[in-house]
Amino acid sequence: MRVLAKAFAGFLMLAAVATAADAKTLRINVTGDPAMLDPITYSELVAGRVLRNVYEGFTDFTPDGKIVNVLAESWTALPGEHGFRFNLRKNVKFHSGRAFTAKDVKYTLEQLAAPDTKAGIGAGYVARIVGIEDVKGGKTKDLSGVKIVDDHTIEIRFSKPDVLFPIYPIWFMDSGIVADKGADWVRSVSAGTGPFKFKEWRRGTFVEIDANKDYWGNKAKIDAVRFLVIPNGDTALAQYEAGELDVLDVQESTIRRVMRDTSKDKERQVVPRAQSRFLAMNPLVYAPFKDKRVREAISLTINRDGMIRGFYDNAAFQLHGITTPGVAGYFNDLPKPKYDPEAAKKLLAEAGFPGGKGLPPIDISSTAVFKDELTYYANELNRTLGMQVNVNVVERATFIRAMNAGEVAFFPWGWTSGYPDAMYYLEQMWHSKSPYNRGRWFNAKYDALIDEATATVDDAKRFQLYRQAEMVYIEDFGAAPLPMVASIALVKPNVTGARATPFGFDRFVFAEIK
Amino acid sequence: MLRFVAWRLAGLVPVLGIVLVATFLATYALPGDPVLVMLSDHSSNVEMANRLRAEYGLDQPLWKQFFNYISGVAVGDFGMSYRFVRIPVVEVLSDGIKISPILALAALAAAASIGIGAGILAAIKRNSGIDTAIILILVAGLSIPNFAFATFFVYIFSIKMGALPVAGWGRIDQAILPVAILAIPSAAYIARLTRTFMLEVLGQDYIRTARAKGLAERVVIARHALRNILVPLLTSMGIIFGGLISGTFVVETIFNIPGLGRLAIDSVFARDYPVAMAIVMLFTAFFVLINLAVDVAYAIIDPRIRQRMGVK
Repeated sequence: MRVLAKAFAGFLMLAAVATAADAKTLRINVTGDPAMLDPITYSELVAGRVLRNVYEGFTDFTPDGKIVNVLAESWTALPGEHGFRFNLRKNVKFHSGRAFTAKDVKYTLEQLAAPDTKAGIGAGYVARIVGIEDVKGGKTKDLSGVKIVDDHTIEIRFSKPDVLFPIYPIWFMDSGIVADKGADWVRSVSAGTGPFKFKEWRRGTFVEIDANKDYWGNKAKIDAVRFLVIPNGDTALAQYEAGELDVLDVQESTIRRVMRDTSKDKERQVVPRAQSRFLAMNPLVYAPFKDKRVREAISLTINRDGMIRGFYDNAAFQLHGITTPGVAGYFNDLPKPKYDPEAAKKLLAEAGFPGGKGLPPIDISSTAVFKDELTYYANELNRTLGMQVNVNVVERATFIRAMNAGEVAFFPWGWTSGYPDAMYYLEQMWHSKSPYNRGRWFNAKYDALIDEATATVDDAKRFQLYRQAEMVYIEDFGAAPLPMVASIALVKPNVTGARATPFGFDRFVFAEIK
Repeated sequence: MLRFVAWRLAGLVPVLGIVLVATFLATYALPGDPVLVMLSDHSSNVEMANRLRAEYGLDQPLWKQFFNYISGVAVGDFGMSYRFVRIPVVEVLSDGIKISPILALAALAAAASIGIGAGILAAIKRNSGIDTAIILILVAGLSIPNFAFATFFVYIFSIKMGALPVAGWGRIDQAILPVAILAIPSAAYIARLTRTFMLEVLGQDYIRTARAKGLAERVVIARHALRNILVPLLTSMGIIFGGLISGTFVVETIFNIPGLGRLAIDSVFARDYPVAMAIVMLFTAFFVLINLAVDVAYAIIDPRIRQRMGVK
């Protein structure tokens, strides 16, 4: 009986600590907890979603991929050197009230290189700064390639050209925060300049950020954003339907339901994700892939329009080559991949494998997310080309390791862009020197074009180089492009200004709850 | 009595020891290297992978890792979480540990009161329409899986009627559906047991004697019959509580409750082994302690057992 009494007492306590969300708090779902809300160690999606509203870099981008200057008012290339001189925005204050100056820029860059900080994604963005190896190796804490000219001017030099440096999402932090709040500051405050500041993280439940009343730019129209941690997609949809969420980031498991529900037509936003998808054919593992005709035949066998309707309920888009829309350097007039089973058969016969004869059996592999697609490719290739294809589903981390090691012959995969410039895809996915060239398609002409582009500051000229490189890939069938999956969001009719973009949600500065 | 409790508590140590070895080896044997999961797309970055491996001691031989782990656990240090940057396991568990036991105990309380009530009612009204109706409900409660009930209840009470929240934790209205869903199968099981035990007891001579003395039926049932079925019922409570604990895994996931059950599932998917292992240990300890409490409760209810334990 005492046990029962205690249980009941526990319930009453729960009721006492209950909190009700404010009417001006925007509620949105995230699939899990962030690993940590730290601009230096951040390396996963959920933290990125939150931090994007809290921290700022030199630049930011609009929902259609246009670069806007944020903490950098302007920059110029250093004449005769690899590097830039940045003029920093004045009258910007951190959440602590301290002024943002060149010292903070340098401090942040040093933190991203320091051996003891476990830097995440950002560490890759500082890799070309002069002196980075000395800081990484622990020889010094002073990053020699970064020179503070005055409070609002800073010069950054690189050992190799790095023309996209100004658009990298490097989030600057308050250099005084450790002295002020201790090494564990990240648990209690935020150290950014952004339109929102950290309020509370209740693990497993929510992360809440408050509007920054002293923000230097357009101030938020809402009081707070609450990111509710909801791992299960069906639960999230039910919560949206019951009015417990204002914005729903639709999860894979509920896409069909959401796309078919005509009552939600006005609440639905569908945008292509900044993720380039491809069916890789590794010639170093499976010799027949060395022949361009075999690669082309496989690409011709895939009915992409059918996939978009059948697999994705139209929540997907045709990808022509490598680059996705909403990313600078994207061209929408590149030739579309064709679907032509008859031509495919002919090509395979020309390559010396009529009706698939002489082709060794092959595994098509990927993670469980791609399970249905794998079955489709295997069936289609067998029926049309007579190839013997086995489906192989592998655990994610194991699979990523094998792909990186170049051990996987034939696999569909996607690469998500970290910033809105096509260079991210072009260099990381298919340059022969990239550790992420998992399909091991190497092309000297492609490499040369990309190398030239990395040293081309002028946007228009650089984009033309991108275009040429992408054409090389398309014409050589470096891989077979696959449809781009959409990001789908539902937004309640009383909410305006919350926009899904190819890179997740836009900053919630313009969001309004009526 | 104290000696008995102390003896049973000492027995907890080898049980936890075996569970510890088993979970440690199981996590080691599972596919998926936690460091590669942490790095995800960047797992070709050997430098970063080695740094992380060293930081978590994963570069050491298995026996050494195990030794480090048990010597930590012995002093209450379950290590650092792999998923949350620089947060100790103990801290990751600190929120959930306040939730899952409350959830399970509340469900046990609800299941026991409803189950015993329904069981007695069915036994008294044996072979009547009420009895048949109760049995029908019991069969449904036992055989329909809880996630089916959950979906149905959420649709009716939350989405259609808007009376209760879909998910979450922290307010009393958020606890109603999860506790109910968790309690249903246990309530049905308890009701069935109660009915069977009750029917058996009601046929005993001492019940006839009690009735012959002219005692009111209410007193016969409450004082003579019920008291005698409590011991076998209590025995099953230990088992039922075990079922409720594992039920929290499902219910917490469906209702998005940040308890230990959901945390366990999230941790396994994220390959956050230190957290998953600690939760397994905690649940084992709960289970053993509840069974100990059941044994102690026997003594309180049944004077014969109290005597056998040497308590005066």
